[in-house]
Amino acid sequence: MKRSARTAAALGAMAALALTVAGCAPAEEAAQEEISIAFVMGAESDPFFQAMKLGAEEEAAAQGVTLIWQGDPSNYSPETQIPIVDAVLAQQPSGLVLIPTDPKALQASVAKAVAAGIAVANVDTRVDDLTDVVTFITGDNKDGGAKAAEALAAKIGYTDGKKYEVVIGLTSATATTNVARLEGFKEAVASTYPGIEIKDVAYSESNPEKAATNVNNWLTKYPNLAGIFAIDGTNASGAAAALEAKGLVGKVGLVGYDAYPDNVAKIKSGIFTALIAQDPAAEARLAIKALVEYIKTGKTSVEKEVVIPNFAITAETSDADVAKYTYVAGK
Amino acid sequence: MTDSNQTATKGGSQNPILARLSALGNNQSTVLVGVMILLIVVFSILEPKFLSVATANNILTDWGSVVLIAVGQTFVVISGGIDLSVGAIVGLSGVVAAWTMANVLGLDQSVKGSDAYGALFVGTLVSVGVGLFVGLVNAFLINKFKIVPFIATLATMGACLGFSVILSNGMPIGSANDFALISAMAPKSNPLSWAVLVVAIVVTIVGLYLHKSRFGLYTYAIGSNTFAARGAGINVERHITKVYALSGALAGLAGIYVYVRLGAGSPSSGTGRELDAIAAVVIGGASLMGGIGRIMGTVLGALILFTVQSGLIMIGVAPDWKKVVVAVLIAAAVAAQTLQSKNGRK
Repeated sequence: MKRSARTAAALGAMAALALTVAGCAPAEEAAQEEISIAFVMGAESDPFFQAMKLGAEEEAAAQGVTLIWQGDPSNYSPETQIPIVDAVLAQQPSGLVLIPTDPKALQASVAKAVAAGIAVANVDTRVDDLTDVVTFITGDNKDGGAKAAEALAAKIGYTDGKKYEVVIGLTSATATTNVARLEGFKEAVASTYPGIEIKDVAYSESNPEKAATNVNNWLTKYPNLAGIFAIDGTNASGAAAALEAKGLVGKVGLVGYDAYPDNVAKIKSGIFTALIAQDPAAEARLAIKALVEYIKTGKTSVEKEVVIPNFAITAETSDADVAKYTYVAGK
Repeated sequence: MTDSNQTATKGGSQNPILARLSALGNNQSTVLVGVMILLIVVFSILEPKFLSVATANNILTDWGSVVLIAVGQTFVVISGGIDLSVGAIVGLSGVVAAWTMANVLGLDQSVKGSDAYGALFVGTLVSVGVGLFVGLVNAFLINKFKIVPFIATLATMGACLGFSVILSNGMPIGSANDFALISAMAPKSNPLSWAVLVVAIVVTIVGLYLHKSRFGLYTYAIGSNTFAARGAGINVERHITKVYALSGALAGLAGIYVYVRLGAGSPSSGTGRELDAIAAVVIGGASLMGGIGRIMGTVLGALILFTVQSGLIMIGVAPDWKKVVVAVLIAAAVAAQTLQSKNGRK
């Protein structure tokens, strides 16, 4: 039994050798082996990456490739990410989907992977130099900010010539997604809704209770507040709770970000005018598709840079779309 | 009895009634009340809307969660330790309570008002239970393995964060709630809410426990001199266990408070709150070296902290500057007390 297995293995090896000698293209040779795609993301605890994981798992199963999902449990930082990338590269995967936590610090990791013959894609964030990267797929946060301005203007019944007081809850000054969303919101206000005055911004420091504190104080200071833009899931939760406790649901427009199931349910009850959702699962699916194609054929039909637009979920959104964009807990 | 009064008032009058009076009007609290009044005057001049029932409600609502963990922290600090896990306990206990209400009781956020009371009662038991358990783990690590409290509670802080993310996938879990519990009883005239009232009662009971019981006396004794306390026959390990269990249980209570405030349990609900609690304790005049501290100081310290935070938003200080201003105020408050205690006490 053992002997026959060994014989079979030897025969197989010889056959493989023969095929190689026969002059197969390197790309085709890779296709004979099992393809494995390593996926190194930012922080496991972030629901955004949980949703991304689901998309990655789906696509890996559909393509018949092995997925190695890795990343720090809670720290979004290059210090923790670089050793994880090194450990993953040591497993010699066929491809690497990397969400670089820093555009410069992770450049060397990309070079290292490419030198080892591993195809690399970037998702969500990118390294500075994309020359060796197969594709870079991201959500459009700036467009999301503009969509938020649009939804808020619709809720407050925006008419030219009138003034509307609006405040914005951020998480911190350094979160790049926050900055892009804020920029998009401000640009839309400047170009289309000049009557909207952004009175103040404040930071929640990733704590929903602090986000609620900010909104409480704004409601006291601006009794005529027309709307709030809560720029991420944490601010959305805090702002919604503050409006409920102050009995101002529906009286103050609230547009949030990130489709946490608990917040999506609050669209129906009128607490949120809209939630702007990203589609992390789609980003992951496309990245894996591109890499598998590239590993098998040496090229891919996916563009070098792809921007997947954000989506505004409102009370009018179809159930199918709500289900599609709601972040599902990954298991 | 004379002994305990002497300890509590740091060598005040021999007459117990006078001692009690001087404890009530003790200098430290007077300074803090003075700072508080000064802040209110300054903020009200800069922004007249600050002087309102709504602002008082905002400040008290913030105060409610942090004062609970700050009071627990006061016991820990007086005993000579530190508890860094309290913020993470707020998150974990809220998540476990919400998970229980959502998955075991099967209630979602559509259950509101008085229909939610039964679920909230269950949630409170679960939340306090989780906090108590983590507190006991802290004590176990400190007593059994002789790990210094800073490291032991740092470890449980990480574990609590991890578990809360695993259970919730990093997302808020919403369930039954009654937001009326956290709203002002009368938005125009009474800034108190039922939740804040409960917190005030709990803080009063725990405060009396520290200042009037043998338990409190032992806490001071251990923090002042562990060897002497042991020599005097105090079972130090058992006492330390009770102190960390109390801190954990109060953090668990803060967990359900924040749940009621948000209508959801979220792993990030307590992010950074351990530092707010320590700040409140230090502003309140406790010494991180152990042996010194008063509940009234902590209560006022937490109030000052949130008066400042609320005031800075109200007067429109740019958020980037807020942290700097808060840091400077904390340093100033502590420095003022150090000077005052040098002059005022022997």
